[in-house]
Amino acid sequence: MNIISRGGLAALLACSVASAPLAAVASDNRIVLTPGGPHPYFAPWEQAAADAAKDFGIAAVEYKVPSEWKLELQTELVESSAAQGYTAFGIFPGDAVGVNSVVGELKSNGIPSVALGGCAQDPTDMAFCMATDVYASAYLGTKSLIEAMGGKGAVVHLAGLLVDPNTTLRVQAVEKAVAETNGAVTLLQTVGDTDNQEQGDQKINALLAAQKDQIGGMIATGYISSVVAATALRNLGDKRIKFIGIDDDKIVLDGIRDGFVAGTMAQNPYGQGYIGAYALDLLAGGCTVKADAPFIQTPQTARFIDSGTLLISADNIDSYGDDLKKLTGELQASFKDKFLAC
Amino acid sequence: MNELFSRVIRVQWSGLLAVCILAVLALTIVSPNFLSEYNAFVFLRSLCVSLLVAYSQMVMLGVGQMNLSIGALGGLVAVIVGGLMDAWGVPTLPAIAIALAAGGVAGLVNGWLTVRTGINGFIVTLATGSAFAGINLGITKAIPFYNLPADFVAFGNGRLGPIPNLLIVPLIVSVLLVVFFSRTVTGRHMLAVGGNSHAAELSGLSPNKAIIEAHALSGLLAAAAGILAVAQLGSAQPSIGADWLIISFAAPIIGGASLAGGSISITGTLLAVVLIGLIQNAMVLLQVDPYWVTFLLGALILAAVWLNRYRAVRVGED
Repeated sequence: MNIISRGGLAALLACSVASAPLAAVASDNRIVLTPGGPHPYFAPWEQAAADAAKDFGIAAVEYKVPSEWKLELQTELVESSAAQGYTAFGIFPGDAVGVNSVVGELKSNGIPSVALGGCAQDPTDMAFCMATDVYASAYLGTKSLIEAMGGKGAVVHLAGLLVDPNTTLRVQAVEKAVAETNGAVTLLQTVGDTDNQEQGDQKINALLAAQKDQIGGMIATGYISSVVAATALRNLGDKRIKFIGIDDDKIVLDGIRDGFVAGTMAQNPYGQGYIGAYALDLLAGGCTVKADAPFIQTPQTARFIDSGTLLISADNIDSYGDDLKKLTGELQASFKDKFLAC
Repeated sequence: MNELFSRVIRVQWSGLLAVCILAVLALTIVSPNFLSEYNAFVFLRSLCVSLLVAYSQMVMLGVGQMNLSIGALGGLVAVIVGGLMDAWGVPTLPAIAIALAAGGVAGLVNGWLTVRTGINGFIVTLATGSAFAGINLGITKAIPFYNLPADFVAFGNGRLGPIPNLLIVPLIVSVLLVVFFSRTVTGRHMLAVGGNSHAAELSGLSPNKAIIEAHALSGLLAAAAGILAVAQLGSAQPSIGADWLIISFAAPIIGGASLAGGSISITGTLLAVVLIGLIQNAMVLLQVDPYWVTFLLGALILAAVWLNRYRAVRVGED
């Protein structure tokens, strides 16, 4: 080694030591956030992962997406990540029951996991589930729709995948909100499996073609269903039919701005990813879930945390992002004390 | 009169035509809205993409092969055309031309790999389909391209009375395919290879050339379907093509194509797509319980196939 390279090495070492405090992290944990497959709903998780790593000093928080919506692909991704040394997992279950097998494997190897965005079915080794309370969201959305309709008329529910257990909860929630009007509002039809662009386009447009004069309002409880319905109403030029969607796709937001959409129920995917990563870091660091934590009981799990939902309408379309951030901040600030024993 | 009926019933697709007419009559009686201008538009528009998808597979069945990558290829072309127009600002027509060329090239790759490796196209396209879907997700990260030129979206949603603008494309393609398979040397060679590859080779035809040409044509048709889907939906969704596989096989086979190759029916395929569209439309118009829609769809398609089969047996086709 010549003197120049020795000097270079020394300088490199000096630099690395000098920069060590800047690069240091509060924890060595390496966390994976994985959805069930590719879907625009989960896009904010990528930013949430980066922000959580930076804000909480976690060694790595990575957003990894299975190439297709197949449980086996998600399982392979989780297992191979665990083999590479990742220490905690935030998972949107590709299958509410099927995911429990890999979660059990992780737990038996001392690796914690939490369900984010959707829950695993109890009994499960997921530490908890943080997601939108789909029942409450669909109920509040329908109530808002009924209000926008002036308290009377016929409603159509555009539901998502019928094999998704959450769809059943949403159907029940819409029915309950309609039933509370004592007949002033009726449920004209529930159209299922509209959470797919092409199928949704065909079904929703056929529905409008056949019954648009009878329909007073529509509520969509699936991401794609909302996009398709907002597009269909715009193409039809119909502002009479009131429509409440879900999530904040650009097409739906543009529909609100232009008066074709009355509102949309915002979920908090960023908060799920951000707080999920924070909680996983604590769990992997030795914290445990409090036995008396104030979880919500749902048909799927006894350890549910609502990640929050709010109605986006013309009134708050420019500020709802701040409202969601505030919601996330409040949930994160109290999370450790409320739910964990460290 | 009896002679006319006898002639009509001997036409391969006459059973399907009869079922379609019956379905239209039944729907008109049960749901008066069925014949409304807007429903006719919605119904006809729903056929456009399906027709091209069905033709894409029909071409492969004609040459005795299968293409499992149609949906993935169409989805990839959909995001290519959307990406070109949204992210790169390429004008509509050049973007469509590039996307169509990409589809044709992808089809050529399928054909070249099939011929070069000697592996059945079923396996090759299973693999390339996964690759195409992977490129699609790599490009989009599951986020659609939204900002498409207004003229392109307007074309997708435009109509003349009940006739959607989009229908022009599959109708022109239908005529071109009829001419191609009945009047051109290349088309006849494809069917000859599909009917009996060995005999065709002994007659001096090149089965490899026919297979590559069929894959390229299939890729081109799937690409056209992808572009039409983008125009129809108004955004380039990465999920386009995800559920094309079933209709791509169901329509040509219900329409009378032979799985063994060499025999296809363009009119039959067209009627099969119309029939499936009618059944799907009926499910919504008749407010069928959503949990039973899939079962009824399958049962009604089976009934239609059985009726056509019954006709074939009666006229001694088998």
